[in-house]
Amino acid sequence: MSNILTSETPIKRKKGLTTKLVLSMLLVGALPLLIGLFLAFYQGTQKIQEVNGASFEALATETARKMDLVVADEISRTALLTTDVAIVKFLEEQRDALNALNPTALAEVLQQEQARWEAGDADQTHAITQGPIAEKLKSQIEGTFIDPGHPIPLITRSATRALYMTDIAGRLIASIDHKPSFLHAQEPWWQGAFHKAVGQPFLSPIAFDPQLNTYTFTLALPIMDSLRYEAIGILRRVYDVKEFFAPSIETIRFGKTGHVMLIDSRGIVLSCPILPTGTALSDPQLTPLVTPMQAGWTSAPSDGHGGQDTSIIGFAPLDNTSRITQASSGVGWHMFVWQSSEELFAPIQQFFQWTAAFGILGVALLVTLGYLAAHRISAPIRRLQEAARRIGRGEFQEPIVMTTGDEIEELAEEINRMNTQLASQFAGLESQVALKTQEVEYLQESTSHILDSVPDPVIMITPEETIEYLNQASKNVLAITNGNSEGRPFFELLNLDPATQAKLHQEIEAVKHSSLPSSVPTAQEPNTKNLKDPLSQSNWGDTGDTRQELRLNQRTYRYRWFSVHVHPGKDACIGLVLRDSTEESLLQDQLIQGEKLASLGVLSAGIGHELNNPLVGVIGLGEAIQDEDNMENMKGYAKDIVQHGKRMAAIIRDFTGQIGNQFLESKTVIDINAQLTQAINVVKGQFPSESITVNMRLETIPPLRAKPYELGQALTNVLTNAFQAISGTGTIDISTSANEEGIHIRIADTGSGIAPSHLPKVFDPFFTTKGQGEGSGLGLTVAYRIITKLGGQIRLENNPGQGTICHITFPLSVEQPTQRKDDGS
Amino acid sequence: MNLSTSQCFLLTSLLLTCLAIGLTQDLQAAAPSPPASLSPEKVSDYLHSIIEADRKIYTTYVVKRMQDQGIVLAREDWESKNAIPLPAQFLHYSSKLVAESGHGIRFRLISLWPIHRRNGPATEFERKGLERLQNEPDTPQRGIVTSGKRKFFQSIYADKGITMACISCHNAHPLSPKRDFQLGDLMGGVVITIPLDE
Repeated sequence: MSNILTSETPIKRKKGLTTKLVLSMLLVGALPLLIGLFLAFYQGTQKIQEVNGASFEALATETARKMDLVVADEISRTALLTTDVAIVKFLEEQRDALNALNPTALAEVLQQEQARWEAGDADQTHAITQGPIAEKLKSQIEGTFIDPGHPIPLITRSATRALYMTDIAGRLIASIDHKPSFLHAQEPWWQGAFHKAVGQPFLSPIAFDPQLNTYTFTLALPIMDSLRYEAIGILRRVYDVKEFFAPSIETIRFGKTGHVMLIDSRGIVLSCPILPTGTALSDPQLTPLVTPMQAGWTSAPSDGHGGQDTSIIGFAPLDNTSRITQASSGVGWHMFVWQSSEELFAPIQQFFQWTAAFGILGVALLVTLGYLAAHRISAPIRRLQEAARRIGRGEFQEPIVMTTGDEIEELAEEINRMNTQLASQFAGLESQVALKTQEVEYLQESTSHILDSVPDPVIMITPEETIEYLNQASKNVLAITNGNSEGRPFFELLNLDPATQAKLHQEIEAVKHSSLPSSVPTAQEPNTKNLKDPLSQSNWGDTGDTRQELRLNQRTYRYRWFSVHVHPGKDACIGLVLRDSTEESLLQDQLIQGEKLASLGVLSAGIGHELNNPLVGVIGLGEAIQDEDNMENMKGYAKDIVQHGKRMAAIIRDFTGQIGNQFLESKTVIDINAQLTQAINVVKGQFPSESITVNMRLETIPPLRAKPYELGQALTNVLTNAFQAISGTGTIDISTSANEEGIHIRIADTGSGIAPSHLPKVFDPFFTTKGQGEGSGLGLTVAYRIITKLGGQIRLENNPGQGTICHITFPLSVEQPTQRKDDGS
Repeated sequence: MNLSTSQCFLLTSLLLTCLAIGLTQDLQAAAPSPPASLSPEKVSDYLHSIIEADRKIYTTYVVKRMQDQGIVLAREDWESKNAIPLPAQFLHYSSKLVAESGHGIRFRLISLWPIHRRNGPATEFERKGLERLQNEPDTPQRGIVTSGKRKFFQSIYADKGITMACISCHNAHPLSPKRDFQLGDLMGGVVITIPLDE
């Protein structure tokens, strides 16, 4: 009950139910949301990459095809000049003319003509720049060369920076202007297009032309003879790269940054709306990724435009153009489609931001709703908890009303039921407790009354020696008038001399450390048996010391300590009972004195009585001898006197015999069984009778250290008593045994037994039930003294009508029998 | 697979080159002593038989087998598409290699219906020769032609569609001017040009 009452401390929780519910709702709701968000973002990014990559690839392929066509168209349009019959005829003639010359002459002619060109010879210049072929070249530029109705695109015309023709020797034969040099046979474009007279189209890589101050590329086409057997001249056309490609490429834009650009396989930009022509891609690692001979797309670590973001790049080679450029210079041309990642992934990032915003909103909503839901669940539980706590405290309350309609409502009903049951049970318990309390109070009161009614002072002290309780008698004795003495030091009340205080303190300590729960005599037990013996000299001097007595207020009190467990679990209190023995002590002293005198009287009377008869006989015989003359009679009388004298000596010896013998022998180790057997044989000899049965059952017992004659006499005396008791007919059972308590001798006879009134006196000297002359009354006295001297005990157990049992016990291993003060007397 | 194709290609080219070298040397050797000379008709016939054999082998045993087994396709943009050249391209490339060898001998595959205009007849002689071959495919068209002052002997041999691959490709190509070829039809001719004035 008290446990329930004291469980007031609030229960410490790690987390409340509300927090747990909200957390679990968050886990259930937000975790899939976050995972979904991440997966959606990842998937979206992947999809965007794939979709855009594919789109970029398609755009690159398409643009590459378009550029291929643009280039092919340009080549085929320009090639029209190379198949012009007049030009071919002219060049064939030139060839034939040159072939007619020997190499030296040819070299001379070429040198002369070059000099004229460089000198600006009018005729020659006119022939080359204004001649019929030059006119054809110009008409080509103007777009009216073949079909005046369909001029070639202005763009390609305006992009042309040079257009001229050489013959088989590399001589300039026609040009739209005066800018070209005269001999070209050693130039790469010329040799590339001539190709050992086999002839093949040549497209140079782009290069910066310092004269034109722009990036240019060369298209060189062989002019084949009429049989297409061999190249007889080369047509060269130089284009401004930017101007040629920009209209086709730089117009293709998508989004803010998406664009197409043309690069070559060295990573040099031909045309780009952002990067200037002739610059290299910012990341050299990117070039091999985007310039394979197949179209594709890649997710590259950089964008080639200086950015280091992951970029989706579509690419495609210009198949046909690249075939020409590869054959010409080993360089391919490729389309490159790119859009900045920032822009590319903007939709997914926006989507992500929106989703994240919705996610946060969702989580907030989840927390709010979760809190509300958790509150709805936990609030009734809290009410129930509070109710249970109050019930636990014993505060019965009104029934809990819950209308949640679920398990909580059922729980509330259960608690109500429990509450009702508890209330009814508590009501019964309370009345019982009141009853018991009354009983306890009554008991306390009656105990107090009883103790107060006890005429002897009773004092209870704590182990700390302070007063716990005083009954009325003790208050009177200690003259305590003012009520409260509890808690005061014990010795302060008693007002004793230091020696007595020390003695009492010692005794208190002994009681405290004694495990015995009830009262124990702690001081030396007065040897009552010794006290009984009025002849014992040892009792005279020290009787005052051994008495448990206190002197308080000129009165003497006997006292006794006892310990009592008042409170369970606490140390035992020590009780002290005092008894006023002022008069009793006085009386006892007088009694002891009286008993001593009485014993002396009995002793004197006994000795006197015993000695008186033979003495009377001696006196009478002495008087008869005085009057007798007859020697024979005198001898007879003298003989009788001697007989009487011996008898008196025997009486005296019986009385003092053991004393004398004590000096004659020393203590040895004795076998009690042997002593007993010897004693029986002696006694049997004195009582020769066929009707006496002696049964002996002697066990092996430890030896005893004693004087053999002394012990033998004690046993002989006891046995003599037994034989006398059965009066010649009966059985005597003798047995010895030993256990941990000691050696035990049992002598039982089937005699007449001892009258109860005689029992306390059997060990008194000279007490006898036998007739005059049959016994001295000293036998058992002597036996008693010897046995007690050896530390043993002798006890007669009376069973009237059936006999007497004598028990003799000796302690074990009695090496040194108790020293007695009367040993020397 | 490309390697084997290239090897085959090179082997054929080398064979043709060796033959051409041998023949021109013969011709050069024959020049000072006319009785031992070899007529250009015979030279062109020899050359054509080799060219035709190589072309047939490549068409039938390389391209067809490769395509039938799905190992590799022959297509026009073979360089960028990891494929092998078309039979016609095979002839063009071998022709180019022979020309580049510098021995003067040339051969070309031409047609009245070329996919690329450059493969059309270059001269009136070639056009007429092709037209005649339509009627007499087994009679090579021969003649002396000139370029300026230079003289050449030319023979034109019929070139027929020998596999369905040739036919279907030409019938389907967007740039093809004729799309009703049948197997065995004359599709063009092989022109062999031998210079006579050197």
